[in-house]
Amino acid sequence: MTDQWHESFARLLVERGVAPGEARRLAADSRDEARAAGLPPAELFGPAAAYAAGIARAARPAPLAALPRARGPVVLRLTGVTKRYRRREVLRGVDLTLRAGEVAAVVGANGSGKSTLLDICAGASKATSGLVERTARIGYAPQQHGTAPYLTADEHFRLFGGAHGMGAKRAVATGTHLAAGLGWRPRAGTVAAQLSGGTRQKLNVVLGELHRPDLILLDEPYQGFDQDSYLDLWSQVYAWRDAGAGVLVVTHLLHDLDRVDHVLELKGAEDR
Amino acid sequence: MLWTIAGTSLRETGRRRAALLLVVALPLAFYAARSDMQGQAIRFLAIGVGWAVATLALFSHVGARHLDRRLAVVGTSPTALLIGRQLALIGMGLALAAGYFGLVALTQDVNRLWAVGLLLGTTVLIAAPLGAVVSLVLPRELEGALALLAVMATQMIADPEGALAKTLPLWSTRELTGYAVDPVGSEYLWDGLAHFAVVALVCAGAAWIAAVVRLRPQALPEPEPEPVVL
Amino acid sequence: MRQQWLHGFLDLCLLCLLLERRDYGVGLAQRLARSGFGDIPGGTLYPSLLRLEKQSLVRADWAASDVGPRRKYYELTAEGRAAAAERVAVWREFRDVMDRMTAATEVERP
Repeated sequence: MTDQWHESFARLLVERGVAPGEARRLAADSRDEARAAGLPPAELFGPAAAYAAGIARAARPAPLAALPRARGPVVLRLTGVTKRYRRREVLRGVDLTLRAGEVAAVVGANGSGKSTLLDICAGASKATSGLVERTARIGYAPQQHGTAPYLTADEHFRLFGGAHGMGAKRAVATGTHLAAGLGWRPRAGTVAAQLSGGTRQKLNVVLGELHRPDLILLDEPYQGFDQDSYLDLWSQVYAWRDAGAGVLVVTHLLHDLDRVDHVLELKGAEDR
Repeated sequence: MLWTIAGTSLRETGRRRAALLLVVALPLAFYAARSDMQGQAIRFLAIGVGWAVATLALFSHVGARHLDRRLAVVGTSPTALLIGRQLALIGMGLALAAGYFGLVALTQDVNRLWAVGLLLGTTVLIAAPLGAVVSLVLPRELEGALALLAVMATQMIADPEGALAKTLPLWSTRELTGYAVDPVGSEYLWDGLAHFAVVALVCAGAAWIAAVVRLRPQALPEPEPEPVVL
Repeated sequence: MRQQWLHGFLDLCLLCLLLERRDYGVGLAQRLARSGFGDIPGGTLYPSLLRLEKQSLVRADWAASDVGPRRKYYELTAEGRAAAAERVAVWREFRDVMDRMTAATEVERP
């Protein structure tokens, strides 16, 4: 019973992105700690899964020393961007100037054109009128269909690495490292269709930041995301910002907006 | 990048076991149904291979549509995406054709056996871009599969001498089958190859145009540096 | 609500306890309980200690014991002592503000 707890604790740590060597060490520590306290681990630490989640979060390497935040050149500028589908107007006169080292949050009700705006910034969709200027090196993580169901995480890394001129080895190493930052360790041979919704979204996010882009366009994942993953994602957003990237996040859950630099509220077509 | 796309596309398609099984089984069923008549059996086998490869190409391109769009937005050329996937499909198609060529060689005594290899190969080279064209025009699997069904069924039923049959993509298989099976002159071979060349060129060109139109991202200018305020 | 508040202040409490003297996990839990915080579950305490260790505010080493199994002892690093002083100052400031905010309710109390 006790051994089982320790074994599953070690395994769960690895699944949460802790390096196998360190997971073994942490599991040995917990075993000794429980022995010293004279209590069964389930009583001292609680359920293995919950304890592994807490320890994995605490054990994660602190994000690279927060650089002094500097606002850099403009990486995205929208001037009077409007989008119409036939007669229906989805976006009207959207203006935004986003610099390197800033976060802009796009908020608004469902159907207010948040994802459409993201697609326009990416260049996947054309604005009906208005001007979109943006830097060339972007990362783009759409809300849906961002991954291929029959490919493994490593194959995704190689494919997107190839798109950015990275070698296969470097792409996989970078992808694995970034996944650990979101509390996830890709397992060889598991295709995206077999991942849980939340983990698939983590893969989606990692693919968007693989090559350290100057501008990250992110449709915030929320389906299948637990509270911890959600907080991890936002600390990742601020880490990108501190590393000098501009970040445009479409947010659905109204995360504490006082920390972001710009809030762009879209009113949506229904209100007019 | 081309080979990375081709490699991942090959693995991706290889994991769709059920689809692959049907792709392998379809030509066999066609071939077995008419095995008493050599010419018909080989022609139907070729159409079966063409149909199967075109359907596989359709599924592959439809399945990859969103991912390809995402890759194109971050800088992958639509041409590389198309050619990479086509390379994987043509490779699989040629492997399938080689298998059936072996089956024909074992089960039939054909006048010009090499021409059977030629006609199966040309069929694959038409079918792969044909599936891509359909996928780019009809971006859903069901509609695309119905369109291919219409084309292939018409191909099998239409009077081969009529004008309609000559506008269909796999008319060349009939000429080449005739050349392989019957003691006829080389005009059948050249007619068939000419038709193949035109169809392959049209399909590849249409697939390329459709891929560029669908996948190419908007060209967005770099932000103007702000005027320096002194 | 108390539990939630404690969650936010647990790191500071641990820094203060370790500023007094080095200690091991169960010892810290007992001292927290004696101070009036109630039982702190190990599932909360140990991740906090690990986090402090990762931030190099705390140094941990295993010490063999004469009587029982070995124990992991925690002590503050120089950085940890500086952090403790700084956070205590911030806390006092915050506490003063809260005292002023909540003073009104004492007046109204019958």
